[in-house]
Amino acid sequence: MVNKNIVLLIVCITVGFVGCEKKETNVITFSVGGAPNEIVVWEKLISEFEVQTGIKVNILRQPTDTDQRRQGLVIALKAKKSNPDVFLMDVAWLGQFAASDWLEPLDTYVKEKDIELDSFFTKVINLADKYKGNLIALPVYIDAGLLYYRKDLLNKHGIKNPPRTWKELLNYSIKIQKSERENAPNFYGFVWQGAQYEGLICNFIEFAGSNGGGILIKDGKVLINSPENRESLEFMKDLITKYQISPPNTFTEMKEEEVRMFFQQGNALFERNWPYAWKLHQSEDSPVKNKIGISSLPHFNSGKSVSTLGGWHIGISKYSDAKLQAMEFIGFVTSARIQKKLTLELGWNPARKDIYLDKDILQKLPYFRELRDVFENAYPRPNLPFYTQISEVIQKYINSVLAGTVEISKGLKETDIKLQKVVETYDK
Amino acid sequence: MINNKLKKTYTINELKGAFLFLLPLILFLLLFILIPIVGTFITSGFRDVSFLEKKFIFFDNYKTLFSDSVFWHDFGFTVVFVIVSVSLEMLLGISFALLLNQYLPFRGLLRAVVLIPWAIPVAISARIWELIYNYHYGLANYLIMQLGISKEPINWLGTNIGAFFALVLSDAWKTTPFVTIILLTGLQAIPKEIHNQAKVDRAHFFQRFYKITLPLLKPVIVVALLFRTIDGLRIFDLIYVLTHGGPGGSTSSISLYGYKYFLSGDFGYGSAISVSLFIVAFALSLLYIKIGRFGKEIL
Repeated sequence: MVNKNIVLLIVCITVGFVGCEKKETNVITFSVGGAPNEIVVWEKLISEFEVQTGIKVNILRQPTDTDQRRQGLVIALKAKKSNPDVFLMDVAWLGQFAASDWLEPLDTYVKEKDIELDSFFTKVINLADKYKGNLIALPVYIDAGLLYYRKDLLNKHGIKNPPRTWKELLNYSIKIQKSERENAPNFYGFVWQGAQYEGLICNFIEFAGSNGGGILIKDGKVLINSPENRESLEFMKDLITKYQISPPNTFTEMKEEEVRMFFQQGNALFERNWPYAWKLHQSEDSPVKNKIGISSLPHFNSGKSVSTLGGWHIGISKYSDAKLQAMEFIGFVTSARIQKKLTLELGWNPARKDIYLDKDILQKLPYFRELRDVFENAYPRPNLPFYTQISEVIQKYINSVLAGTVEISKGLKETDIKLQKVVETYDK
Repeated sequence: MINNKLKKTYTINELKGAFLFLLPLILFLLLFILIPIVGTFITSGFRDVSFLEKKFIFFDNYKTLFSDSVFWHDFGFTVVFVIVSVSLEMLLGISFALLLNQYLPFRGLLRAVVLIPWAIPVAISARIWELIYNYHYGLANYLIMQLGISKEPINWLGTNIGAFFALVLSDAWKTTPFVTIILLTGLQAIPKEIHNQAKVDRAHFFQRFYKITLPLLKPVIVVALLFRTIDGLRIFDLIYVLTHGGPGGSTSSISLYGYKYFLSGDFGYGSAISVSLFIVAFALSLLYIKIGRFGKEIL
């Protein structure tokens, strides 16, 4: 005998599986990942937003890892799901998401809501948040590569200013590394991100860009196999193998956090990292607390300093069924008041220029004055839909060169050929 | 043929009952295995790139695949990795199984302890190995320097060979317990009388191993090989955490390569890579089933 209750149960389970599509529209789903302390801040902001507007926000919590956050969004958007409505995106995927027509253009909303685009860094808005003339996202926070240095050690050796050129960085490193090694055999001059991942591209752009080189892809043409890039790449490799001021595991293990911890333990004179490292270096239990300074990255003799632009942007899904409410949320998150709050609580770098001159901010985070200039000149990665494929190829070859498994000119030549193929396949 | 045979052996009602009991499994296989596989096959026939117009292109993705040197490198790496790591795991697994089949003190405890690596999720065990291989504060470098094997620390993951064997070792540590347990059950199914009789005939240990244990263990060995080979072919998590395909892409597997295409929005090409992996795994499974002669004894 089939029991009525069993039938009911089966119906419930089936509905439970299928019936997750929401019906109300005064509810939006916000997809966000990050460290636990960041999520806590988001939750606080959201409850404030809910009280203020009466719009309910569900958090769809994502991992910290960038690739996994992206994977979660790609699956939902590819399946044309109405959830999440609004989400954060790394600057490196904006091109792909926009070209896939997954993002709702924000131009009309921004006009209606009176959001002043001029108060943001112009370069960031124009180079990262615009796609084919449409505004497709707004910056929540931005990042750029910085040089961290040990003030105490430079002073000890009679050096007043941080290095302006790579050559100075090299000379200081060799000298100080030699004397520090007497007590600390594990001491290195300069740590940076050389592992095979996206961070390597950011570092490469900074080395090459400060020599007048870089990754240039325009009108179906690739320019990477240039003398400037060859020289920069050689310098990167020499830092590890010839001068040995960067540790041998630079190309295997060194990502942001490994580099940050290495420097924080007092084992390095210079560090290339994102601004987030400052707050951690200055925390109570940090061995380098109050011994450090930041400046813009050095450059080659003929070039000028370049910082790669990073950071996260907020946008609305084309498939959202609550776009107006989602826009309300974006307006809230990018407002000057909330941006200041995020800066004070998390040390994030806002994309709003005026905050860098705010009194409260400067009192708590005095280094912000210098950051403004760095961000003003930050250099974006190629904003192309197929940027990921390009990045994969370059990562692989630069990493091979650093590892010594591929010779420099051969590596650049092959990168060029492979990139040309990527462009032919995807640039349509 | 089979149907007639089944009808002869069982009544209609018995068959109906059997089918009903199998139904959940069949549904599960349809829903979660067959449909996704067919779906992947279909997608692999399209230019399915999120930012380009979707277009049916027959076998163009496979044509590109055939001339893709990175794919062939990753394919080669995966095959070599499977051969080396599975051989090592089988060798270690058999040794451990034989050992644990003896009368040892605390045998129950030992059998449980052996399983621990298998119980740890791959992502976590990969992190543990990452710490062991770490250049600055890893256990491996500490040991070689304390034992005086080398004066300088070694960058284990820094060379193609080093990264390869680092992966093999981590994989063997993690999955040897699985092989051990499967083989141990096989060993226990071998009647003691046969061994005792052979002892009476004065067959020494190796003779008994080659003439009795190994042939009787063969079906179980094939099962273990089958599981390990398929598992090894789709290696992803260990590499993702430990080397991320580095240095310079030398330890990138087929799965990792395909994953990168899914991430960047090229679902068509990613699917073609997945299908190629499926074909290899499927062919190998058929081969193993033939070698193991499964199904012959049952009917």
